[in-house]
Amino acid sequence: MKMTVSREDIRAYAPLIVLMALVLAVGLYDSTFFSSKNLLTITADTMTLFLMASGVTFVIMIGGIDLSIQSVASMASCILAVGLPRFGLAAIPLAVLGGAAAGFLGGIVSTRLRIPSFIATLAVSGIVASAAYWFSSERSINISEEDSAKYLGWAVGELIGVPNEVWVGMFFLALLSALLGLTPFGRLVRAIGSQERAVMASGIDVDRTKIAAYALSGTMAGVAGILMAARLGSGSPTLASEFLLPAIACIVVGGTAITGGVGSVWRTFVGALIVQVVRIGMTFVGVSAFAQQIVFGFILVAAVAITMDRSKIAIVK
Amino acid sequence: MEPVLEIKGVSKSFPGVKALQDVSFSVGKGEVVGLIGENGAGKSTLLKVLNGIYQPDVGGVFVDGAPVRITSPRDAFDKGIAMVFQEQLILPNLTVAENIFLGREEEFLRYGLISKSRMNAAAAVELRKVHLNVHPGKRCADLTFADRQMVEIAKALSLDSRIKGDVTILLDEPTSVLEKKEIDLLFGIINDLKQRASIVFISHRLEEVLAISDRVYVMRDGKVVFETPAKSATIKALHQHMVGRQLHHEYYREARQTAATAVPVLEAQGLAKRGGFSNVSFTLHEGEIIGIAGVIGSGREDLAKCLAGHKPVDAGILKIGGKLASFRAAHDATARGIGFVPSERKIEGLVASFSVAENMTLAALPKFVSGGIIRFADEKKTADDWVAQLKIKTPSTATMVGSLSGGNQQKVVLAKWRVAGVRVVILDHPTRGIDVGAKEDVYELIRDMTAEGLAVVLLGDTLDEVIGMSSRILVMRDGEIAATFDAAPGKKPTQVELVEHMV
Repeated sequence: MKMTVSREDIRAYAPLIVLMALVLAVGLYDSTFFSSKNLLTITADTMTLFLMASGVTFVIMIGGIDLSIQSVASMASCILAVGLPRFGLAAIPLAVLGGAAAGFLGGIVSTRLRIPSFIATLAVSGIVASAAYWFSSERSINISEEDSAKYLGWAVGELIGVPNEVWVGMFFLALLSALLGLTPFGRLVRAIGSQERAVMASGIDVDRTKIAAYALSGTMAGVAGILMAARLGSGSPTLASEFLLPAIACIVVGGTAITGGVGSVWRTFVGALIVQVVRIGMTFVGVSAFAQQIVFGFILVAAVAITMDRSKIAIVK
Repeated sequence: MEPVLEIKGVSKSFPGVKALQDVSFSVGKGEVVGLIGENGAGKSTLLKVLNGIYQPDVGGVFVDGAPVRITSPRDAFDKGIAMVFQEQLILPNLTVAENIFLGREEEFLRYGLISKSRMNAAAAVELRKVHLNVHPGKRCADLTFADRQMVEIAKALSLDSRIKGDVTILLDEPTSVLEKKEIDLLFGIINDLKQRASIVFISHRLEEVLAISDRVYVMRDGKVVFETPAKSATIKALHQHMVGRQLHHEYYREARQTAATAVPVLEAQGLAKRGGFSNVSFTLHEGEIIGIAGVIGSGREDLAKCLAGHKPVDAGILKIGGKLASFRAAHDATARGIGFVPSERKIEGLVASFSVAENMTLAALPKFVSGGIIRFADEKKTADDWVAQLKIKTPSTATMVGSLSGGNQQKVVLAKWRVAGVRVVILDHPTRGIDVGAKEDVYELIRDMTAEGLAVVLLGDTLDEVIGMSSRILVMRDGEIAATFDAAPGKKPTQVELVEHMV
């Protein structure tokens, strides 16, 4: 049989190819980049971004968007930092729960009040940001060395030479991939993104699945916030600022369609690595951190333009 | 007579349907050409080719004898062809004048701004032509349905005062929503227009077509099967060409029609929906097919949507299996064993990018889950069984459903509800847009379902279908049940008997 490479195949594997090309390019510029220690560190550094984007992937797949994630992650970091001295280990589930609740709220507002998700989650973002300022008394809160060692070792240590962040990332990559690929929830997420009205007419409570997707997005933003706070040793109401754009960029660069229906968690994982390598590459070349947001803006538009078959879209709103 | 607009040997296919096959058709100057055929015969597709919405796969289009390519409705407009659509394309949030001159605003520019007064004055001229007495500055949302239709016609006629050459106006079922008085008015306008324009007139009301047309084409299954001067045509002859066969009992599998059992599955008592229907009562039994006949606006579409839970009813009692039921959403109805086969198959019936198997289990996913994980092998086996049983033509159950033909897609929709194990199926135009052969398969499947004791509510694509398939027929008019007919095999009512109560 003759091997043929279709346009579809190229679309499917393009993100991986781009990632390898980028790694190669940066490696040629600076060969120390290729050391296994460096590659592991980069992967570890990417995990908070990946975790943050992993949950939003589900929301984008149902055809929505969650703009509240950076506020939610920041709030979770505050809950953790404030909670650890008082409640100990229980502060971790508390912070995750806070994230889940914020996502749930966005989902309820969007589905029950029939408000476009970008408005609903933008509003939730405002509420959550205020909540974070309130929890933290408007400042950054340090996590003591002692608390960190006692409760957050799972996030910042190392296991068989691999940083724990990477293990955490791998765990959620596997868990969320299974959720999307093997469970009825994942099936319905894909179906809703492809043709919501057909799912509704098949007698499925579409709103329930959608709300669950938003809650999952909030949950993962919470987890990302915890990991971030653990790494930095502090929680702050602005901890995850500037993370929204790169997080959305990860998803889209990975090849998940912004119009819904098509996508996966591993794509977001690859997308996060691409965004991270681009960021490192820019730092190497000497682009300032502020100017990097410009590049992410360009990448976002370019990725959507490439991944979407825009010829089939008659109206853009 | 020299044709002003002509097509020769045009074919047009959509996935799974040959919409037009080797169609030739012409309109002479000042001629009114009638075009008739059953739903799905290809009339609307033909008009859309003439209007530039579709490009023919094969064959040519000629304006004044010269070959042309009509690339868009705007292009058609510039070539002197305007169309009045069956579905209203008037924008409700714009004024009457803005609608009439949509896309032609530059004709009314003054200092770069649109002069409302000039546009309204020009619109008033157009409105006078259709004797429509509304202010050009009125928002279309505030007009009645029939008035909006007249605005749409005025918009098409405005071409007449703009183009210097010959003008052809395509009217796709313009009378279906008009009252007798408005129809007479429209016919008067058409007679006036013959001085300057040619008309193509689609209608399913044969008397109307004969009354207004000079020449009539009959289409069936994507082909022109008959052409005649209107003077020498009879309604009976036209009807036979439209249907293409003496109504035969085989087609609808009447021998397999099951007698209703005494077991009621769905009871409606005084159901009402504001603006839709009122005082609807009937009882549906196991193994029974209740057909609902009625024109657009009779309330039958709303009734079907309410029975399927897609819209809530405002009043009345609904019982399923003897127990009270109240539906707020489709999933409430499904939970009580009601399935819905929608007329918009690609939008509400199927997830086109999903596989055959995934679509079949969509309404019954929990049945295929153990420990939170989908049992894929089980799902595939069930899908394989149904593909074999319903003779669905597909390479495999992993094939994307969107790539199947219309008939096979519809079988997948039916299989979905069989997998879900529903007791009642609401069929909303189940044979719309599928080929003749596939239609017979669908009829066979419906008979299979009733043989197993399922009950069916059928909104047929044609009256013929309703009569052929149903055990009992409810005729709806103005939102109420106007008549009920028993339709046992061999004792079926005629179309004429039903139509009497429909209009």
